[in-house]
Amino acid sequence: MDDLRDPRKTFGEALVDAAEKNQNIVALSADSSSGSGMTPFRERFPERHIEFGIMEQGIMGFSAGLATTGKIPFVVAIAPFVTARPFEMFRNDLGYMHQNVKVVGRCAGLTYSDLGATHQSLDDIAIIRTIPGVTVLNPGDPVDIVKAVHAAAAHVGPVYIKLGSPKMPVLMDENYPFQIGKGVVMQDGSDVTIIGTGTVLSKAAEATRILKEKGIQARLINMHTIKPLDRELVLKAAAETGKIVTVEEGYLAGGLGSCIAELIVAEHPVPMKMIGIDDLFCDTGPYEELLAMYGLQGDRIAETVEKFLA
Amino acid sequence: MQKFSKDEKIKLEKIAVKNRKNVLRLMKAGRMGHIGGALSAIDIITALYFKIMRVDPQNPKWPQRDRFVLSAGHKCLALYATLAEKGFFDHTVLDTYGSLCTRLGGHPDMYKVPGVETNTGALGHGLSIAGGMAMGLKMDGLDAKVYVIMGDGELAEGSNWEAAAATSHHRLDNLLVFVDRNHLQISGKTVDVMSYEPLDQRWQAFGWSVREIDGHDLKQIVENATDLPFEKGKPSVIIANTVKSKGLSFAEDKADYHYWKATDEDLAIAERELDEIEERIG
Repeated sequence: MDDLRDPRKTFGEALVDAAEKNQNIVALSADSSSGSGMTPFRERFPERHIEFGIMEQGIMGFSAGLATTGKIPFVVAIAPFVTARPFEMFRNDLGYMHQNVKVVGRCAGLTYSDLGATHQSLDDIAIIRTIPGVTVLNPGDPVDIVKAVHAAAAHVGPVYIKLGSPKMPVLMDENYPFQIGKGVVMQDGSDVTIIGTGTVLSKAAEATRILKEKGIQARLINMHTIKPLDRELVLKAAAETGKIVTVEEGYLAGGLGSCIAELIVAEHPVPMKMIGIDDLFCDTGPYEELLAMYGLQGDRIAETVEKFLA
Repeated sequence: MQKFSKDEKIKLEKIAVKNRKNVLRLMKAGRMGHIGGALSAIDIITALYFKIMRVDPQNPKWPQRDRFVLSAGHKCLALYATLAEKGFFDHTVLDTYGSLCTRLGGHPDMYKVPGVETNTGALGHGLSIAGGMAMGLKMDGLDAKVYVIMGDGELAEGSNWEAAAATSHHRLDNLLVFVDRNHLQISGKTVDVMSYEPLDQRWQAFGWSVREIDGHDLKQIVENATDLPFEKGKPSVIIANTVKSKGLSFAEDKADYHYWKATDEDLAIAERELDEIEERIG
């Protein structure tokens, strides 16, 4: 039985732990504290928890201003409302001013499966990665989430962390050395490399298992950092396995697949298949069924990889 | 409140003229810029740096310093002029305005210009950044204050009103906003383009303590800006009635001079006019 953990609860506990160690950490809520797992933070550090109500543009500027005084603000809310909605504030106040602010977009991807396109966040990676100097993290399991929070707190500069909401299986070793900008080979293989990220890393892992049963040896990489991209690991995979498949719960335009395509087309062209959401506003329905419909369940990913290799 | 003697007023008026001359020096170098708003705000900026704020040009990042946020970043010629006069950088840097890779761009950059606190330019950002500064200073128990200049046309950006609500909700009474109310924006009169009247009542409704002054009267600027907070527990706002391009008679109160492409002839006339003002002060 998988060890399943709630990503928001995991995040909230990690934030408390990070804040115990660093008194400059403050948490900013846009009416999003309890929904983001920050109730323990608010109870433990009431004076360091600042509520803004549903003020998703203003909160970015406030976080930048706080950072100028040495605070390390974590701004946490539903993903589209801290990325697409206040994009210009993110770009200018955090990116251009290079402020030490950590923005956490939770319930990202399709995880607000029932609430529809306004609440689903499929473009966050694509738009935020265009901002110079912003680190973009997309943790693939609960272990990654904890490590991403601590790494973001220690990193000086703006960081975006993308989180889902359904429970996630533990895939990574609790003691593995998480490093911003360094992907992780979870399984070696020589026929193809599958690079997964974020909420669907577990689906990519499942696909890898299915393919193995069919005699296809896929290398599986957990790319928890979208920016800066682990160029070395990607180019090594391209050289050694000759084919690359990317798996993400986000738009193909501008996401992880795009990042990798931009690199390999220039440095080491190999055939590629990008799995994600194409150019559409998604339907609503149960999360796992939606993922299946858009080809993001393990069996569907395995099928796509098989066809790609054929 | 800081009482302001006649001698002090004259001294500050002289600095304001010097700062206007520094703006002309910038324009001579770069030939184009947002002159209208720079010259409507320059008396306020002069008073802030020379009479109101606690700053140290030798130590621009001093943690106890007061902060200045030019929310209407396009008025930066006035800020550059004043920072040079205050000694944050050498006057010769003014001569680089308009040149390739100058530190003095068309909007201020905190990493290029000593004394600049924020990168502004896109309107409607400054007040929330200033609010975060004011909040952080309070959390650290510092008595430093945060001063902001906003344009009156800028007030149409909705993000300002988010910030106006949050600064009031969080009782940031270490914050003072000047609305540089020169009544004009690119397309004409602010009341015609997008009215925010009655302006004082709008700020009051958002929980601010409001005063209205002549934004070119240095005594009124200093005496009010050193009387903070106007009400305990509330952020303060001064609606400063100003004249666009103040000091250049041919450009005063004209929307066309929001952005000025100056000719040699224009600059010569402008220089003569500022000399005359300087002589009048004595």
